[in-house]
Amino acid sequence: MAEKLPASLEKLNTEEYLLNMGPQHPSTHGVLRIILKLDGEVIKDVVPVMGYIHRGMEKMFENRKYDQIIPFTDRTDYLSAVNNNFAYVIGVEKLLGVVVPERAEYLRVILAELNRIMSHLLWLSAYGMDVGAFTPLLYIFREREEIIAMFELITGNRLTHNAFRLGGFKYDVPKTFFEKLEKFISHFADNLDEYETLLINNVIFKSRTVGVGVITKALALSYGVSGPSLRGSDIKMDVRRDTPYSAYSKFVFEIPTGKNGDTWDRCEVRMNEMRQSLSILQQAMQGFPQGDIMAKIPKIIKPPAGEVYTAVEGPRGEVGFYIISDGTEKPYRVKMRVPSFSNLSALKDMTVGFKIADVVAIMGSLDLVIPEIDR
Amino acid sequence: MTAFMQFLKDLLYDSGKAFGLIYDGGHKIWAGFNLPPLTLDIIFLLIAAACAAAFIAINALFIIWFERKISARMQLRRGPNRVGIFGIFQTVADTIKLLIKEDITPKAVDKLAFFLGPLLVMTSTFMVFLVMPFGKGLIAADLNIGVIYILAVTGLTVLGLLCAGWGSNNKYSLIGGMRSAAQIVSYEIPNVLVMLTIVLLSGSMKLGDIIAAQPTVGYVWMQPVAFIIFLIASNAEINRGPFDLPEAESELVSGFITEYSGMKFAFFFLAEYTNLFIAGALGAVLFLGGWTGPVLPPFMWFMIKSYFVVFLLMWIRWTFPRIRVDHLMEFAWKVLIPIALLNLVVTAFVIKFH
Amino acid sequence: MLKYIKDIITGAITLLEGMAITFKYMFQKPITLQYPEQKAQMTTRFRGRLVMPVDEEKGDNRCTACNICVKACPNYSIAVERLTDETGKPKPKAASFTYNMGTCMFCNLCVEVCPFSAIVMSEEYELAVYDRKSLIKDLVAEKYKLKGRKGKWWISKFKDEEQV
Repeated sequence: MAEKLPASLEKLNTEEYLLNMGPQHPSTHGVLRIILKLDGEVIKDVVPVMGYIHRGMEKMFENRKYDQIIPFTDRTDYLSAVNNNFAYVIGVEKLLGVVVPERAEYLRVILAELNRIMSHLLWLSAYGMDVGAFTPLLYIFREREEIIAMFELITGNRLTHNAFRLGGFKYDVPKTFFEKLEKFISHFADNLDEYETLLINNVIFKSRTVGVGVITKALALSYGVSGPSLRGSDIKMDVRRDTPYSAYSKFVFEIPTGKNGDTWDRCEVRMNEMRQSLSILQQAMQGFPQGDIMAKIPKIIKPPAGEVYTAVEGPRGEVGFYIISDGTEKPYRVKMRVPSFSNLSALKDMTVGFKIADVVAIMGSLDLVIPEIDR
Repeated sequence: MTAFMQFLKDLLYDSGKAFGLIYDGGHKIWAGFNLPPLTLDIIFLLIAAACAAAFIAINALFIIWFERKISARMQLRRGPNRVGIFGIFQTVADTIKLLIKEDITPKAVDKLAFFLGPLLVMTSTFMVFLVMPFGKGLIAADLNIGVIYILAVTGLTVLGLLCAGWGSNNKYSLIGGMRSAAQIVSYEIPNVLVMLTIVLLSGSMKLGDIIAAQPTVGYVWMQPVAFIIFLIASNAEINRGPFDLPEAESELVSGFITEYSGMKFAFFFLAEYTNLFIAGALGAVLFLGGWTGPVLPPFMWFMIKSYFVVFLLMWIRWTFPRIRVDHLMEFAWKVLIPIALLNLVVTAFVIKFH
Repeated sequence: MLKYIKDIITGAITLLEGMAITFKYMFQKPITLQYPEQKAQMTTRFRGRLVMPVDEEKGDNRCTACNICVKACPNYSIAVERLTDETGKPKPKAASFTYNMGTCMFCNLCVEVCPFSAIVMSEEYELAVYDRKSLIKDLVAEKYKLKGRKGKWWISKFKDEEQV
């Protein structure tokens, strides 16, 4: 929290005023609106206003067949399309009782981890912009472009991949994919070190982030904060390890955590997570099995009546799908649990007492994706 | 013929002498026509002012292009390359676009302050060029308080920024204006201290004398700390680099220039980049020996050195993240000023007992 | 006091390290693709807009107006009209295939379900138009000719050859 005013200034008659940040503001990453109550530059209150791009996704799910929903899940959190697919697809497969072939499981993990790196890279570049460093963005987009090219090779699209199908994949991996992946793995660790020196370890960056926007352990748990924002507060919680889904139980990886739960810890956790993803990618590439890429699933997908909740560890946190089936072609209800929403709810406790510039830094460190919040 | 060649050579290498010739010759002709000599002085003044204005405009255009190119190369981009060779006319096209754009004045602004803002910023920037020694004798007025004059005049910029911030009637602009006032005022102090060190070394406040007093390599080798402080402080004073808080895009949208468009915006832009050049030129004059140098004409040396400092400032700008407003103040008062003071005291002692 | 000096020095070192990186990059080749002149090579699986290519051997498109794609489309962007003969009996041929690119989300589901490989996502990616009406296209009337790698890939798809 901010330091107390000196005694000589306490009697000073200042006036609080409201500042409307967004929905069109360079650093709200979309159309989030934040009403700031300010005293000079110091923040007294924060009220996030959401819903500017509410599209009624969950209602749309109810009017689509099970396999038609997958491309819509891409569009909730467009930066981690694959992980959203993942959460939904394993849910429906659980309802159907389909066992996915191992090759498809491995490919799913590869895509999900690539997607995590891609999302974190975009976060890093956007965060650099938020704190005023423009240059890292253009370096980082070079690596991101490599990943996007890999996605394009496999799925055919660059951002909203619609990568997964119920039961596996439609097409097998192209041969050139692994060459590209190998090349990417070979140089990516060096690039990460470079970005760490350029941005994360920079003294100005550190002074902007260390001790800013602290989420304590208790606060994080009470708000349901998840993902790197939670792990920054020194809570070792990761869906990939706690309730392993798909092929994740076969890989060895660490869960990086921060110490103080401040903005810098969250950044560092994301950087280390990218390194861990890289190691998972390496393991998955080495052990990539032969076999089918698609399980046998019925032409008309009619899961038996029942309900299921499945969650995956997305780049921003726990992405969950709660699906209720009434035995017809279309789900009765699909509820999404999105990480950005719960992460945003902690914003007020993190920002009050800091300055305008810190709001930007803190919001950036939460890695919010607004379409995911509004859905 | 040789006299003419000599004149041309003088124009390049000893401009003061050449201009003296022109001045005397003009007056002789003028006297022949039996006209009062004052009118000719006024004409010469107007020509000089026009030349200065043209130089400022062209130089700003070039410096904007230079910055775009440098930043592009640092970011693995190509930068402007469509208009003219290497995109050199890109900034010209941009300027034309800005000039013919509609100049919007929002309804709720304080008209006078809104109008005065860009004007004051521009004026204070122009005024610095009065004492700028571009080359041997190529100086409008070598005031004996040159250094103080520069500090005083650049300090005026604050007024313009405050006018713009307050007059815009926009909270972002207001915060930007206030930030810039605080920033420029506090970074003026380390800048003054550094310049004082140089004045101590050279024993004069006249820019011409400072250049003359410098050894061939410049003061930068004697005063590396002062040079670094000067770079940081002047970077902060011209609201650039990691210190671009008044117009911090990710926080304040555009700070005090949020509401400006068209010509008025162009004024701010021009002033910003001219200020950048002034910072570079001051660095060249105070630390790198100004226009002195072998073979090339003094003017060229002056430009090369200025652009070198400008390049350093750009390099800093495109590498670092933005500093926060309270750290900015802390940095000025707790780091820069003590070091600058220490540097000043040490220099004084060395001069005294050397 | 010692910490104060140490902080300044370590801070300055991190700054210099950053500056070294940007300086290093200044001498590397730009990665820019000069867009309107140079264009990115899309992969064969790339999903541009939906087209109904003309099969060279058949001399016509391969659509049988079976409406499977219409049912598969999550956004209802496709409408197929069946051709009828003089007696009003429907023929296995599409009279029109109306594709609304404005609502399409390029998910590829229609292409995947098509049993005859009649439709395919083309390599085009410059899809912006000035008029909203021109987003709605009749693919049958368009008689699109798919060429290059994508064309070969498409032919191999329905000839059951090895997929690229």
